[in-house]
Amino acid sequence: MPSVFATGASAGRGVVHCFGAGPASAPAAAYFTPRIYTATMTPARLGYPQLGLGVGLRTAHFPYLLEHWPAVDWFEIISENFIDSRGRPRYVLDKLAERYPIVMHGVSLSIGSTDSLSFDYLARLKRLADAIKPKWISDHLCWTGVLGLNAHDLLPLPLNEETLCHVVERIRVVQDFLERPLVLENPSSYVTFASSTMSEWEFLSRMADEADCGLLLDVNNVYVSSVNHDFDPLEYIDHVPHGRVVQCHLAGHTNCVTHLIDTHDNHVIDPVWELYRRAHRLTGGMSTLLEWDASIPPFPVVHAEVLKAREYMVAGEASGVRRQASGKPDLPPTAAKAGLPAREPSVPHPLHLVGREVQ
Amino acid sequence: MSSHPSSPDSSLASLQRWMQAVIMHPDGVVAGAKSDDARQHLEAGPESCETVVSRSRNLTGVERLTIYHQAYFARLLECLRNIFPIVAKTVGDEAFDALAMGYLQAHPSQSYTLDRLGDAFVRFLDETRPDRDETGQPTETWPDFLMELAKLEWTIGEVFDGPGSEGRPTLSAEQLAAIGPEHWPEVRLVPAPCLRIMSFGFPVNDYFTELRQRAADAVPPPFPAAETTWLALFRRDYVVRRQALDREQYDLLTALAAGQTVGAAIKHLLDTTGIDVDRLAASLQEWFRTWTAAGFFAAVDS
Repeated sequence: MPSVFATGASAGRGVVHCFGAGPASAPAAAYFTPRIYTATMTPARLGYPQLGLGVGLRTAHFPYLLEHWPAVDWFEIISENFIDSRGRPRYVLDKLAERYPIVMHGVSLSIGSTDSLSFDYLARLKRLADAIKPKWISDHLCWTGVLGLNAHDLLPLPLNEETLCHVVERIRVVQDFLERPLVLENPSSYVTFASSTMSEWEFLSRMADEADCGLLLDVNNVYVSSVNHDFDPLEYIDHVPHGRVVQCHLAGHTNCVTHLIDTHDNHVIDPVWELYRRAHRLTGGMSTLLEWDASIPPFPVVHAEVLKAREYMVAGEASGVRRQASGKPDLPPTAAKAGLPAREPSVPHPLHLVGREVQ
Repeated sequence: MSSHPSSPDSSLASLQRWMQAVIMHPDGVVAGAKSDDARQHLEAGPESCETVVSRSRNLTGVERLTIYHQAYFARLLECLRNIFPIVAKTVGDEAFDALAMGYLQAHPSQSYTLDRLGDAFVRFLDETRPDRDETGQPTETWPDFLMELAKLEWTIGEVFDGPGSEGRPTLSAEQLAAIGPEHWPEVRLVPAPCLRIMSFGFPVNDYFTELRQRAADAVPPPFPAAETTWLALFRRDYVVRRQALDREQYDLLTALAAGQTVGAAIKHLLDTTGIDVDRLAASLQEWFRTWTAAGFFAAVDS
């Protein structure tokens, strides 16, 4: 029977004992041994550098980047688009990695799945990391499939002790394999589970402490999930462990009136910028990255969008978030996205397929 | 908690298996929740699924799960349309989506990458062709045309992101010319890793070109009549290139790519095609000049 209990968490790092009796694979078995972390202070961003304002690398921008070499602070790649590439994507990445800091961001780690971890996938990830030397490697707090299947989605987890123990245990395996702290992102989600016993920020806090990993705080995802799950995004931003936030994501989404969908196909809306302002102040600054994955505009438009973040880095309280009498934030609904061609519906993130170039 | 999370009877494993069965069901979340596939993991039908998935202020549990169901199919259909754009244009969006839905049921993704999503699509088209008679024999030719078109598009994808010759020397015309005539028959040529020599029962390459040149909303041309055609696919400067071949070129390149010596390949060509020796001799120089310029060969096998 697995059990997890934490003690001595007062100094930023907890002590967690995870006992596993399940049919662990041989490489994983070693990690069932209880570990005791010393109570030391966690350096800001886990010691990872503050890279500034970056842009998610997308193939549509390859020609522009190689021609203009714009003054971008850093790029984040979708790891899966490059780990097997022996064509243009890898060539362009190698070129960019000579001149820009690169971060590897994955969508298929499936850290929360109850299937075994794929060491083949991890080995490919590590091989690419050895070659391009990313500043860090990130993925999502989610599962992508079970029984050998991949839904290619970032599926949410029930937030309870069982999941926490499971995820923490697997993060440790991954970190030991990759030989670096993993950075995990809060995904946008559209369901919550009756078996959840804690908030997402509480889960992330305990997970990060117990696994000693970093966090990628996607403020758009916080906003999307807050609307979908009726929680207060300000409380979330206030309570995530700020010292463990290595990086931030910004993106646009689609308002479906009854819920929001994380489509990465538009500008960042003002309420999300205000969450960013707050997160930036509380964390003392974090590497910031804009994702734009559908209806992708020319590169200068995408770059200009992330540069707007400078306006929100000034000290001061969030000015744009009004509060209702109840104290809940009064976040205005975003305009429903209009003008999409009928054959190009807004497909929820993630959809990452590299287009083929053929003459 | 009754067992370790990786155990099939843990509550987390049951929940994940249930949710996957529900959202991947082609007929929707209600049908998914009713399915045996889902109920073997959790006994939570459509009426009781909020014992698993909570409702929000605006949406029921079923409605919230439907977001994942719709996203799953929308995402992967979009992906298949991008992998097989000419097949999709040829059959039309509605028919392609129906095909793709069937494909995703038969061959759900098992890979970490969407690049492999279509790797069984040609086989699926063959397995599900609707024109088989009682004995299982095909009675129409158009499914063969569609399969060939899909094979061309899949191979383009393989060549695009597979190994290539960029940044490495390829065999030049000068290097070939420097080989003494007495050594020529015994020479073996190493094909470039991105070279694919293909033959088709339909003019799929011409059709591919024609359809690409048409406006996105133009009516596709009629399915072409059967006609054997040959094609070399290769990559230069990271872009996939297509070069139509004739029968003799196809035979020679196939033999060379299979590791035959130049002499044996030419003899094979003379024996099987009946091509005139003088005409072949006149053609060879031009062929090899074109092929070396295109980077078909990596080196002389030493």
